[in-house]
Amino acid sequence: MDDRSIADSDDPPATNVEGDRPVVEASTETEDATVHEEGTELERTISLAGGLSIGVGTMIGAGIFVFPGLAAGQAGPAAALSFAIGAVIALLVALPASELATAMPRSGGGYYFISRGLGTVYGTVVGLGLWLGLVFASAFYLVGFGHYAAAVLAEIGLSLSINPAVPLGVVFGALLTGLSVTGTERAAAVQNVVVALLLVILSIFLGYGGLDSLGVFGTESTPERFAPFGAMPVISTAALVFTSYLGFAQVATVAGEIERPSRNLPLAMIGSVVVVGLFYVTTIFVATSAFPSADLETFGETAMVEVARAFFGLPGAVAILVAGLLATVSSANASILSSSRAVYALSKDALLPRRASEINLRYGTPHVALGLAGVPILLLTATGQVELLAEVASFLHLVMYGLLCVALLVLRRDPPEWYDPDFRTPGYPFVPVVGALASFSLIAFMDFRSIAIGIAVMIVSIGWYLVYADELSLKGQI
Amino acid sequence: MTAHDCEHEPEIETDPETTERENGEPNGTSTGAGPILVPNRILETDAIEPGVVTLLSRARVVLLGYHELPEQTAPGQARLQFEDRAQNRLDELAESLELAGATVETRLVFTHDREQTLNRVADETNCVGTLLPNPSMRLENVLVPLRGERSIEQVAGLVGDLLAGLDVSVTLYHLERGDERASAAVLERGRQVLTARGVDPELIETRTETSHTPVRAIVQTAEAFDAVVMGESDPGVMTFVFGQTAAEVAERFRGPVVVVRRRGNEGGPADEPIVPVDRADDSAE
Repeated sequence: MDDRSIADSDDPPATNVEGDRPVVEASTETEDATVHEEGTELERTISLAGGLSIGVGTMIGAGIFVFPGLAAGQAGPAAALSFAIGAVIALLVALPASELATAMPRSGGGYYFISRGLGTVYGTVVGLGLWLGLVFASAFYLVGFGHYAAAVLAEIGLSLSINPAVPLGVVFGALLTGLSVTGTERAAAVQNVVVALLLVILSIFLGYGGLDSLGVFGTESTPERFAPFGAMPVISTAALVFTSYLGFAQVATVAGEIERPSRNLPLAMIGSVVVVGLFYVTTIFVATSAFPSADLETFGETAMVEVARAFFGLPGAVAILVAGLLATVSSANASILSSSRAVYALSKDALLPRRASEINLRYGTPHVALGLAGVPILLLTATGQVELLAEVASFLHLVMYGLLCVALLVLRRDPPEWYDPDFRTPGYPFVPVVGALASFSLIAFMDFRSIAIGIAVMIVSIGWYLVYADELSLKGQI
Repeated sequence: MTAHDCEHEPEIETDPETTERENGEPNGTSTGAGPILVPNRILETDAIEPGVVTLLSRARVVLLGYHELPEQTAPGQARLQFEDRAQNRLDELAESLELAGATVETRLVFTHDREQTLNRVADETNCVGTLLPNPSMRLENVLVPLRGERSIEQVAGLVGDLLAGLDVSVTLYHLERGDERASAAVLERGRQVLTARGVDPELIETRTETSHTPVRAIVQTAEAFDAVVMGESDPGVMTFVFGQTAAEVAERFRGPVVVVRRRGNEGGPADEPIVPVDRADDSAE
């Protein structure tokens, strides 16, 4: 049997400034449901495919459809190596995250693990960072979407006096937020289909492009130095494109809803990193084989459209345009929903006002939490700063990833009674130690502005903790 | 294709042992009929209708209160806000059934997927049937469409357990497919099962009809009845709750429908529906 009872702590937790306490849940996790003490059951309804689709769907939008041009411009063909570095770091974190998720299959993901493993102040920093990190990530995807929508307009010959990318991103962001509040029936099913479709389009495209680049079809590809700008840009590019690997942790934000969590959580998290990592590296390889990196840079966010055009002509360009629209929307949508889950997790633990997780009586959706995601997303999308948005999102996530590895080390060293993960990180303690070091050091390679904004968010978070909830103790609680 | 299904039916022996086994639980006198799964959209259900209460008065009931959420909402989030209200409502509903004599076990589930929850709870509690609690003010007569040999034991057995000792008439119903003897045998067997379970023979009627559109025929006949009890017709996991024919009947019939679950590990051709579902025909009305 996989069931395990998780006991309450005896001490009643303290309250926040509003007098709310964390909601302590005495519950039993089974393969199909979470059963609370009073008998209320929460059905687990997300299958392995659903989990993979959340992970892959969140990630694939950025790495393939937004970054190739920017990354190749900075690092040359070695951008493929940047993506590979990102994949390795993501894997080093996904393994500890999997162990923590099977030990605590609860909604809230990284926030939950860190607040329980390291304590309330780290939890607050990571929790607010997760919420805002997803907000930045969503805004980044939406700007990417705007670029694709603008490219579609350009393709059909509609020329506008201003670049419509940012306004389109904002409008669509508002639409997505609105839809998520009013209830998107069967959105997950649609998302699964979209992800499957994307993988098929990309496999055909990359399969053909890859063989062609290797000279199978006769046209020898452009010889270019692998790392024309040296090693440094390879690593700083890895820091920039790390946003492409943020999705696996989103699987953990819905850990409470995944069926057979002990098996499906690790598979979904690790599997989605491996899948997208392979796609990313191949994408960059194909793109840099088709065009010199300087050209890719001038193509900008929609460089892949030109790559597809080079291989397949107009149909190829159209296919990638459509795929890019779908992928960026699916990433943005998944991030909005995850962001609202983060707000819920914080609110349940009394780190945010209880009102924040309130459910709309008409639509049955968490309208406040979705608004707390949607409104800042629109503001950030309006800035149109692709690279800045991406890096701040990465920064906030990397802090979480590093702390997540630390939390694993702490929990393993002095495990609470309930700590009994089904998945154990291989290569312990090497993997979490390297994972933590790699996560933190990647931050150092970011643009100064991104680091400044990231640190500012963390300082505000600590301030919030001190003012609002410094008496709460979540460490070791479950 | 359907005739051969009927052929072996007359050979069924009356064997009380088999009957007990077929119907699931070893029937102690106190256990009652069932268990029957009674799902309710808990936050939108005010009361269980009197006819349904009567139908369940001798049953063991698994009263499932569920609240289905959009994907954006974590079930735990809904639980924080609605659990107390849902639990109170569920307790009230359970009390109304218990007052009538039923044995009630309650389950409260927050879910994104109603079908999955119904399936899981039905499996966990070994429910023999699922009741769709459509409105019904009174319960005077029940229509029981019968199909193949195995389902007779299950369907009629459950009907017998539910209605024994109540002043409710039962009409056993069979759609004849060109073999009068087979139909008569099915109905006779059904009558035997009912009588064996303690239903007053005076209250049992039988009826055969010929139709190639079973759903329409059943629904039309059911107009004159207060409730329908029928077997599930196909084992698809997704459509288990009501099966194909049963699902359509349940959709069109205005009153409560009890769908008797197919036994998990049996199956095989003998339990295929005698009457094929002809959707095209049905929807042509």
